[in-house]
Amino acid sequence: MPLVAGVLGLLAGAVLMAATGNNPFQGYAYLFRGGLMNIERIGNSLATATPLIFTGLSVAFAFKTGLFNIGAAGQMLIGGMCATAVGLTFMWPKPLLLTVMIIAAIIGGAAWGIVPGLLKAKFNVHEVVATIMMNWIAYWTVYYVVPAYFKGTYLETESRRIPYAASLKVSWLTDMFNGSYINLGFFLAIIAVVVIAFILERTTLGYELKAVGYNRHAAEYAGIRANRNIVLSMMIAGALAGLGGAAFYVGYASNIQIGVLPSQGYDGIAVSLLGTNSPWGVFGAAIFFGLLHSGKGFMNAMTKIPPEIADTIIATIIYFSATSILIERNWDKLRKRMGGAK
Amino acid sequence: MKLAFNLTKIDSSEDNKLHYGRKKMKGDTKLFKKGIGILVVVLVIALALAGCSKETTGFKVGMVTDAGTIDDKSFNQGTWEGVLRAAEELKLETKYLKPSGTTEADYIKEISNLYDAGFKFIVTPGFKFETAIFQAQDKYPDAKFVLIDGYPHSGDYAPVVKENTVSIFFAEHESGFLAAVATALQLKEGEVGFIGGMEIPAVQKFNWGFQQGIKYANENLGTNITIKAENVIYQGSFDNVAAGQQLAAQMFDKGVKAIFCAAGGVGVGAINEAKSRAKTGEEVWIVGVDVDQYAEGIYEGDKSIIITSAMKYIDQVSYDMIKAEYEGKFPGGETLVFDAKNNGVGIPAKNPNLSDEVQAKVADVFKKLQTGEIKVSDQQGSLIK
Repeated sequence: MPLVAGVLGLLAGAVLMAATGNNPFQGYAYLFRGGLMNIERIGNSLATATPLIFTGLSVAFAFKTGLFNIGAAGQMLIGGMCATAVGLTFMWPKPLLLTVMIIAAIIGGAAWGIVPGLLKAKFNVHEVVATIMMNWIAYWTVYYVVPAYFKGTYLETESRRIPYAASLKVSWLTDMFNGSYINLGFFLAIIAVVVIAFILERTTLGYELKAVGYNRHAAEYAGIRANRNIVLSMMIAGALAGLGGAAFYVGYASNIQIGVLPSQGYDGIAVSLLGTNSPWGVFGAAIFFGLLHSGKGFMNAMTKIPPEIADTIIATIIYFSATSILIERNWDKLRKRMGGAK
Repeated sequence: MKLAFNLTKIDSSEDNKLHYGRKKMKGDTKLFKKGIGILVVVLVIALALAGCSKETTGFKVGMVTDAGTIDDKSFNQGTWEGVLRAAEELKLETKYLKPSGTTEADYIKEISNLYDAGFKFIVTPGFKFETAIFQAQDKYPDAKFVLIDGYPHSGDYAPVVKENTVSIFFAEHESGFLAAVATALQLKEGEVGFIGGMEIPAVQKFNWGFQQGIKYANENLGTNITIKAENVIYQGSFDNVAAGQQLAAQMFDKGVKAIFCAAGGVGVGAINEAKSRAKTGEEVWIVGVDVDQYAEGIYEGDKSIIITSAMKYIDQVSYDMIKAEYEGKFPGGETLVFDAKNNGVGIPAKNPNLSDEVQAKVADVFKKLQTGEIKVSDQQGSLIK
């Protein structure tokens, strides 16, 4: 079903291209060439997809427990900030430093996720409200912390540059992809996908989390502690987004900027929907979106499509792709109706 | 909230089906296949469509925008207008690209896109491009780069301007100085304020120059203008229109008569506030920035609340650089500073809100800046913020 949604998205984009007087075939040719033309561009597409895999997983994981995590952006920011703080403070060898940075990102993100989880469990505060508020707390925390402790020589608006020893970029990978921005974050993302798939499908914890998602009262009746699982679910979702922050701020980017809520946080919702909330679905959807985002510029450069329209086209594709669940539901209805007619 | 509820509900209902009994394991592999499936479709489409390219040769001019849109009435727009003017005159092909973020990686990706599409003369406005251009000038030795408001460096602030790059700076402090003198002369007495965007060098220099201009007018031209520390504020962003409106409202309520806004979209908020107050007959003014913002401040007929603007002739610079390249005189490897001496900064030629007498006096001050008789510092010194 996500395939139908993806194709529908591309069709909608094509209609928009045609409506603005451009050849959709040519447009898509350049879009995909922009993302896949050479090894460097493939690397960049994967690097663009990496944070989306994490935020998509984060949203999908919370969905499983019936929670809507809109706070991936803030969790990402805090995770990125914690990783940056460790990376700029200590002068350790790269493997050790990276390990500690990743742990810091996980802790930061988890802390940002656990708060809405606790509020939901203890006081029944809706997690949508709580996570949105946490986004702004993260935004302003970074706004204060970065200039106060990690600012560069001249600029008040971003942290110092992450040194090579603290960057998820490694030279063998960069060289292999001809100077692309792909980094270790991509492998972390694959590991995260495998681990989350395992937790959800093979462990008691995963079973309990999903049970709470399907029907909280039934789960409680069956002896599952719903509140504990809500807190746990938000914590893990936060940790995933926090990891995404590390992948973005100390992998893809080379410093952390203040005054920006990362758009990947919200894109994660669309990724999760297109991926039907399954870990491998999220993986595929994120790479699809990464490809779109990274090929967009080349399509722009080679055609007469202005950047604003290109953004709209990408947004349209994402929007239509995210309806995959809706399509699936109607598809089932359609099938049932046809089956009934027989 | 309703949306959230619906989504989660839909989600759980579709998953129910996968969940019970042995179907669970099937579901797992099915979902994995879906993920791979998406990739396969993408690849097939890509391969099917790849292969139809057209190569064009010649001098094509590209631009990558900084944060903000192409019609930001300021930096991006100024640069782009210069590019368009040159393109029309010299019959060139042009293209601008908008990066999806503001990281170095985003900027380099767009530069690569322009380069791969044959746009090998690339103009980039804004200090945020510094490290991106540092890498691009090595990566694409046959391309030319114009970096406005910054110089290439590796992150350590040691300038490395290669032969294929020219780095351009403006004397914002001189521009702010002139606008301050003009404002002071026109108002004669009262309070003024300053709203900045982020605390970055270009904005700070505008602020410091402005304060020095007020001081100069008070000491030498008989005005009595005050500027209080509480009315010198950096909002912290370039796009928070609502905050700009609030800050301006607070300052006007405290009796400030004119505010100098070097703050992009935040300034737009301040302009809106001033316009609505001017309509009710209040006497409030805004000093525009970067480009002549007179038209933005019109609230009735042709009356505008923009008293004057502290201009940087960005369009002229991008035009000049393209023309220089066209004539084979590209000043590669150089760092150019545009100030009063080479007419790179100033106030607009036409200022309907300034009297002729004031304009004559400002022109006088401008000449003194050009000859070096008046010197404006680009450092904070004892100034506010």
